[in-house]
Amino acid sequence: MAEHEITLTVNGTDHELTVESRELLVHALREELGYTGLNVGCESTMCGACTVHLDGDAVKSCTVLAAQADGQEVTTVEGLAEGGEFHPIQEGFQEEHGLQCGYCTPGMMMTATQLLEENPDPNDEEIRDALEGNLCRCTGYQNIVNAVENAAEKMGASTQGDD
Amino acid sequence: MEFEGTFTIEEVSTEEVWLALSDPFLIKQCLPGCQFLTRVEDPDDVDFEALGEQEPDEDPPTLPEAAPEDISDRAFEEGGHYAALMQIGVGSVKPTFRTVVTIDEREFPAMNASGEGSATDSSFEMSSGMTLVETDGGVDIEWEAEADVFGKIAQMGQRVISPVANRVVSRFFGSVEDRLTEVAKEDDSEGLRDRVRNLL
Amino acid sequence: MTEMSVESVDPDDVDAADILGSAIERREDPALLTGDAEYTDDIQLPQMTHMAVKRSQHAHATIEGIDTSAAEAMDDVVAVYTAEDIDVPGNLPTGWLLDTLNQVDHPILADDRVRYQGDAIAVVIAEERYAAHDAVDAIDVDCERLEAVTSPREALDTAPDLHDDAPGNTAFEWEIGDAEKTSAAFESASHTASIDLENQLIIPNAMEPRAAVADYNPSTEELEVAMTTQNPHLHRLLMSGVIDHPEHKLQIRAPDVGGGFGSKIHHYADEALAAWTAKQVERPVKWVATRTETYLTDAQGRGHETHGEIAMDDDGTIVGLKVETEANLGAYLSTFAPAVPTYLYGTLLSGQYDIPAIHCEVTGAFTNVPPVDAYRGAGRPEASYVVERLIHLAAKKMEMDPAEFRRQNFVPDDAFPYETQVAVAYDSGEYEKTLDRALEMLDYEDFRERQREAREEGRYLGVGFSAYIEACGLAPSELAGQLGAQAGLWESSLVRFQPSGTVTAYCGTSGHGQGHDTTYAQIVANELGIDYEDVDVVEGDTDEIPQGMGTYGSRSAAVGGSALVKSSQKVVEKARSIAAHQLEASEADIDFENGEFHVTGAPDRSMHITEVAEQAYLAHNMPDETEPGLEATSFYDPDNFVFPFGMHAAIVEIDPDTGEIEFERYVAVDDVGNQINPKIVEGQIHGGVAQGIGQALYEAAEYDENGQLLTGSMQDYAVPKAEHIPEMETDSTVTPSPHNPLGVKGVGEAGTIAAPQAVVNAVVDALEPFGVDHIDMPLKDEKVWRAIHENGGEN
Repeated sequence: MAEHEITLTVNGTDHELTVESRELLVHALREELGYTGLNVGCESTMCGACTVHLDGDAVKSCTVLAAQADGQEVTTVEGLAEGGEFHPIQEGFQEEHGLQCGYCTPGMMMTATQLLEENPDPNDEEIRDALEGNLCRCTGYQNIVNAVENAAEKMGASTQGDD
Repeated sequence: MEFEGTFTIEEVSTEEVWLALSDPFLIKQCLPGCQFLTRVEDPDDVDFEALGEQEPDEDPPTLPEAAPEDISDRAFEEGGHYAALMQIGVGSVKPTFRTVVTIDEREFPAMNASGEGSATDSSFEMSSGMTLVETDGGVDIEWEAEADVFGKIAQMGQRVISPVANRVVSRFFGSVEDRLTEVAKEDDSEGLRDRVRNLL
Repeated sequence: MTEMSVESVDPDDVDAADILGSAIERREDPALLTGDAEYTDDIQLPQMTHMAVKRSQHAHATIEGIDTSAAEAMDDVVAVYTAEDIDVPGNLPTGWLLDTLNQVDHPILADDRVRYQGDAIAVVIAEERYAAHDAVDAIDVDCERLEAVTSPREALDTAPDLHDDAPGNTAFEWEIGDAEKTSAAFESASHTASIDLENQLIIPNAMEPRAAVADYNPSTEELEVAMTTQNPHLHRLLMSGVIDHPEHKLQIRAPDVGGGFGSKIHHYADEALAAWTAKQVERPVKWVATRTETYLTDAQGRGHETHGEIAMDDDGTIVGLKVETEANLGAYLSTFAPAVPTYLYGTLLSGQYDIPAIHCEVTGAFTNVPPVDAYRGAGRPEASYVVERLIHLAAKKMEMDPAEFRRQNFVPDDAFPYETQVAVAYDSGEYEKTLDRALEMLDYEDFRERQREAREEGRYLGVGFSAYIEACGLAPSELAGQLGAQAGLWESSLVRFQPSGTVTAYCGTSGHGQGHDTTYAQIVANELGIDYEDVDVVEGDTDEIPQGMGTYGSRSAAVGGSALVKSSQKVVEKARSIAAHQLEASEADIDFENGEFHVTGAPDRSMHITEVAEQAYLAHNMPDETEPGLEATSFYDPDNFVFPFGMHAAIVEIDPDTGEIEFERYVAVDDVGNQINPKIVEGQIHGGVAQGIGQALYEAAEYDENGQLLTGSMQDYAVPKAEHIPEMETDSTVTPSPHNPLGVKGVGEAGTIAAPQAVVNAVVDALEPFGVDHIDMPLKDEKVWRAIHENGGEN
């Protein structure tokens, strides 16, 4: 099987690695590079537990071959907090009890942060629509929606503060 | 799972369609993903690897080039068993099925066959029937099939399998139609038609 | 929208004395929010190999031959094993026996016959994950397919036998209640109503697939298995027998576990195979199920075909209830399978009602689907569904308001403890309170008015009630033993002070998303009067925790929490004697409050419990006969089950042109006794309701006539998405459990037990003008549309 030398920039750190043609990005990140924050929940792109940002876009890393991601920037859940400070979405999930077993949470937060970039003040329906590709079996979603709203408020407040 | 349909071919005779659909080589060529189709003696003891290696590099002529008498000699026989290797794309997987088909009944203008195929993690069992009906402008091929699928492809459910089955069937009859259209175009087609009719 | 949400608080903002009952944020969240959590698949060990399993593609077949030569010849393949290589008992036992139970063999690798699609046939150990799966594909299994059956009724009536030891596919025949008395009640009754229903098979769908990493040390013979488990000690006991490895040399550890919902209670073949193969190859072995494998092999839930009848006298008082159920047990008996459709089901058929005569018969059937066992609620949702569907029909028959019909038949407040006709004693309950609160939240009178007006406009609104009760907090061991349990159902804990005054609390339950680290620390901090932050909680490791029975049956707070209280109290008593000694007072004169021991009437003569801890380890000045150190172990065995209850209600609107169901309201009023952490309680209700709505509207494990799973991926099995679950309005009443020290009742399963019938009753209420009495779950649009139109439109 063909192998590829690729470069991935993960949470700002460059990594060079060799991958098989068929190796999925999720496996390269988890098993070659040790970013185990993202999880594998299905093989059918349905659950979203493996969601990362690839050059800024939320993608399911189980549907991307590692070789396809060559040269791109990846952000995983490990890259959300900065300088020991939680990202507002992490604070939102903590404060609103937006997680239980936590398995879907990293992917959920990666999708939510992209939503908040595109729509800083989403309503309940917009949040539920945006999370359509991320499944959670524990929470019934209500506190996840609250967590995203909570984060939106925090981010809105901090943007206003900067102005 | 049950499937059925009617495929119409214009400007051909029932006999021509019958002859075409009697030819294992033509069937092989028209079936998408079919690597060989060979008569075997014991349906329970088929060595697919050996059969694959025995395959001639080039098939003998089929319609429209073949002589009807040659096709008649090699035509499917009632009670005969045929082994085929077929690769079929189902969703994201492309299993290769080792398939054995038995011709249960064959009496112009109808044929029934049944068989089963198995791949690494999937398999199927099927029975099918076909009747040719002459119409004003050509022939209706009325076909029906009942299939049970097992393993990985079964898990994909009818959602995935029905379109695959429809695709295989329409490509198959489409190819058969192309051949027969060429037969109709041949200059001496009348002569060919007579020879076909006489064979029956 | 009504805002009923519980506000969570930072634990730093809570006074130590108020910690119990505060909705503090969870301490387990930071690791889960940053990627620091460690799930089983995150574990990487040096020299680790990967296991993959060759599974049957047929639901029922004989195995004529297995050719592993091609797989063995592949690069990176370390070993391939089939049944003939298994040199240990390799038989998965069931942990619950019934008098009439036909026990059948359940080999970890099928030898001559497979009985469900997914049954394990061979395993490959390879250098890496992809190679293991490639090699599995290269294994050739020669099978002779047999007729398969997936319906319990058909299995019992007509299908060929799956097991020689279970003639007619009968796993057991079981009954509860009084048949004669019930018949007599029906004969004298003025009115009856009946129903035939199916409670469909559900796939649990924990987001984390099952997984195991086994590591064997040949020198010490120690075998460590990290795995997705809800009950490490139980898995240790069972696995030790299955793979014939001594229990004291077997460590089962639950890393972070991504949900369970029952599916990680049971002992499956795969985890045993990972452990056994690790011993064979003497290298670590990792096995992780693909999602499709979890769909094929995780024990499924529900699977009942039921006929139920209810009888009333002239004024609408219930006089009798009878139920006949055929329960699907799948291909083999899973760990607790025989208990689920019997003692966890028949015993709950009195619901919240005073029913003077009940009889229930259950026949368990073997079929060619995966083993069926506990799934969130386990038996109790099935019971509550039958009862509440019958109640709905009974009220309609009596032309009574369904809420008032329920009220009339509730067990009255002054009747507790109440002995039902089905062998349980409800210890406490105030059912009208939750009903009244739900009616108030719904603005019920107003709703009925709106419903009438809407119907005139051709819009179809409906309200459905679910007055549920459950028995959880499993369970008094002696009673469980009488009923067939092959294990005690106590819980164990250890509370240990360190010399510096911090505490580690160990508990034999094993959380997998429920927030035990937080709630247990709240309990222990409260008992010991120390800071919440000074209590660390340890669960999920057989090498660290003395003993345990695990987390299921909404038992952790009620049984595990009580065990922690018991150990904490023992610690306080020992500390009291040390304090008395050092304060030169009699023990009887030492008061304990907020962590401080002081002499009665002399508050200045005092010692904090953390000072006592230090003294206990210094051991310079101890009472006679008192050992150094400050810790205690306890086994808490509950006196009774606990009986949470509540009223859930849904308001839906149905589009008669499409059959589409839209939620207008979902109201849940639950009484789970005292609440240790109301935010966590709320989360458990939300999640439980979502799973119940999933069953009501979307989910079903569907098979074709050959036993082939047609819903084998998340594309075909509809796990509800965010857009599918309505905003839930929750509230609670508090009727403390009288018999456990925390007064808690358990909350994990309540929502799942309550929700399905609230939704179905609402849909049927909405469709009353069309003469629709019942639609089997899941209520997909097409099914609803068909029900509307088969009845020929509005009456």
